[in-house]
Amino acid sequence: MTTIPARADYPLVAHLLRRAGFGGTSEDLRDFASVDYEVAVDRLLDAVDTASLPDDLIRRYHIDQSDLRTGPSAGSYWVGRMVTTDAPLVEKVALFWHRIFATAQTKLIQGKVMSTQIGMFREYGLGSFRDILVQLSKNPAMILFLDNQDNHRGAINENYGREILELFSMGVGNYTEEDVKECARAFTGWTVANTDYMAIKMRNNTMRPYGYIAWQFKYDESDHDDGEKTFLGRTGNFNGEDVIDIICEQPATAAFIARHMYHYFVADELPVPQWPHFPPKDPEAITVMTDAYFESGYNIKAMLRALFLSNSFKSDAARYARIKSPMELIVGTLRLAGGYQWPSSDVYKATAASGFMGQALLAPPSVEGWMGGSDWISTGTMVQRVNFASGIVGDLERPGIRRLVDAIKTRAAHEKEGSTPESLVGSCLELLGRLDVSDETRSDLVDFATSGKASRGPSDSESDSGPGSDEDRSIISIMQLIVATREYQLV
Amino acid sequence: MTTETRSKIKMNYVDTVGFGADIGGRGFHLPVDLSVRPDGRVFVISRSPMHRRGIRVGICDITHGWYGEFGSDGDGDGQFRSPTAIAHGPDDRVYVADEELNRITVFTPDGVFESNWGESGSAPGQINGPSALKFTADGDLLVVDHHNNRIQKMSPEGEYISSWGSPGSGEGEFNLPWGLDLDSSGRVYVADWRNDRIQRFSPDGEFIDMFGTHGDGEGQFNRPSDVAVDDGGFIYVADWVNQRVQVFDTRWNFQASLRGQATVSPWAQEYLEANADELDARSRFNPYIEVDTDVAHEVSARVEAYFWDPIAVEIDPEGRLIVADSLRHRLQIYQRVPK
Repeated sequence: MTTIPARADYPLVAHLLRRAGFGGTSEDLRDFASVDYEVAVDRLLDAVDTASLPDDLIRRYHIDQSDLRTGPSAGSYWVGRMVTTDAPLVEKVALFWHRIFATAQTKLIQGKVMSTQIGMFREYGLGSFRDILVQLSKNPAMILFLDNQDNHRGAINENYGREILELFSMGVGNYTEEDVKECARAFTGWTVANTDYMAIKMRNNTMRPYGYIAWQFKYDESDHDDGEKTFLGRTGNFNGEDVIDIICEQPATAAFIARHMYHYFVADELPVPQWPHFPPKDPEAITVMTDAYFESGYNIKAMLRALFLSNSFKSDAARYARIKSPMELIVGTLRLAGGYQWPSSDVYKATAASGFMGQALLAPPSVEGWMGGSDWISTGTMVQRVNFASGIVGDLERPGIRRLVDAIKTRAAHEKEGSTPESLVGSCLELLGRLDVSDETRSDLVDFATSGKASRGPSDSESDSGPGSDEDRSIISIMQLIVATREYQLV
Repeated sequence: MTTETRSKIKMNYVDTVGFGADIGGRGFHLPVDLSVRPDGRVFVISRSPMHRRGIRVGICDITHGWYGEFGSDGDGDGQFRSPTAIAHGPDDRVYVADEELNRITVFTPDGVFESNWGESGSAPGQINGPSALKFTADGDLLVVDHHNNRIQKMSPEGEYISSWGSPGSGEGEFNLPWGLDLDSSGRVYVADWRNDRIQRFSPDGEFIDMFGTHGDGEGQFNRPSDVAVDDGGFIYVADWVNQRVQVFDTRWNFQASLRGQATVSPWAQEYLEANADELDARSRFNPYIEVDTDVAHEVSARVEAYFWDPIAVEIDPEGRLIVADSLRHRLQIYQRVPK
């Protein structure tokens, strides 16, 4: 078993910042490493966003991010939040729920309701799982995505009743077909205002005549089946909230959510459809989180705290054990490059890039969300990842890149025995978030730095003709090669 | 029906013109500014990101006539990237400002490209984010130089004449000013957007007074985007984040607040009649649902008749108020009833 020091060390803090956020700059690392690890964890868990650009500024210059009609507009708004926030775990958790409670703008057509759903994840995502499920069940985007507006007293549509059990809480094998129907009955009457008109506008895929009208939850008592139901062995005149109470009490629910957390925050797990047939990779980690779930009254923050403090999370084996999702790669790279000080059209390019890399934001491929893991990597997506990241770190106009290059130059100037290719590569790796690379990769990077190719740049990329001295360009070309390595694709 | 219209004067709702047209054609998409020609034709800038033809200037009148459109997305002659403002010169030429390209494009009265001018920067005569245009009675062009926090007076050909303003919150200072207008005496009114106030200047740019504080009460503003003044001296402010238009007399006494009460225009009605399922569902549609939020932007997202980001206000030759209702892709028209 790995022994973990009580006091935080840099590699561990870098690991925490990569997983509980989108990675850290060297300043972030210094800041979080100056306190006990437990304090650093709590700081991330309790952070409140104070850094995101104000909505009025965003809406002023990007009017489409005011009505958020389209997926690109709503997705770009979210990218902006992820890149600028100083509470990155809040956004990371919203992304976590977006993957599990997968709802797609492609069916709903309007991005506004998707953006509202993400806002709900932002607000409730670290709180009680019961509250999250209640909010999810009342969320207009989810209602129309899973057809609950068609779930009527005496004529149920079981779509939401099934998915809340199968994909959102317990997983296959922990309920019966009868439970699905009874669950659906409990959610009859949970719909949106002006149901017919909203559903037809969605079906007709039209913003005409006057743009989309944001949907709003409506409880239609006259359409609710108030009869007796038997659900997971309990009997009563259950409504949706009663059913959620019963779901939350189930050990299977705690284990299912914990396994998702492990998959997202610790190490790539098997695809969800295989979970009923194979045990978790790390049962001890699951137990740590399920204990926290019940001890805290279903609190997500408590589960995460227990996870981040566990040896399963802190161990060397967990480092770089996951493949970065496209959003982790995109947001992490943009944050390294200094983020945004002003509303930027850059967010649209980043949103488009996420789609090219296989994670079209607000448009998961199905209600099962993205599988993650090795699914993120193909010949095509790898090219997109490398092109995006090298384009960002090759842009000296970005304040974060300018700072990085200057810091590396300062270090080189203070080398006692003069700067060497080894020290230059070491500085680049350290300032790019203390990236650990294999000996082989390091050797290749040093060879590149030694060969003189670095000053000419690794390719005919646009940045080669950009501003900066030869030394700047040399450093940049090494950084561009680093973000193309296998290790940079891992988190 | 609740329209939250409170008045000391009477403001009559007249009509709604428009229809969401995001890839060009009759209608608007994300209109950001308008200018009314003396013959009553209304030129409306759409700033749609949806299609190359979504960014354009459409020409209509308030009786639902449609006269075509010009311009498209791009940086070539007669094209726009981020158009923000439009004005008619004394010769009826059309001037359109582009805040991304930092240039003013001049069109003939029929929308044929003639020329453009503008140089990025902060030196006198250079511009950084032009956000509003208005001609003075002398034929000079006032340009709100948004990021430079100043107003510049230029010739129609772009030659620098004078300027006033600097960054700040004091008298005559600006924090990202947006819209402006002139009254019948040539006094200049500027929507000092991020200072949440309107400032009034003499024709030469001497500070006269200012009005407004941050808030959502009467006489308070939350990011006012534009201002218009009618012949009676009444002042109309597009109170953008508060989703309303406030009306004041010339001494800044509060007169009325409009929340919007749009109806279905004939263009929209044509669309609905061509889509029977929507028309049928709309017949059971409750337009004024009881909303579950008190955030004005979100209320507007749920109630179609209300203003949703009212972004520009103009007075037409008949004294009618035309409001560009940007996120609903239409114009709402009102008329002050003389006392």
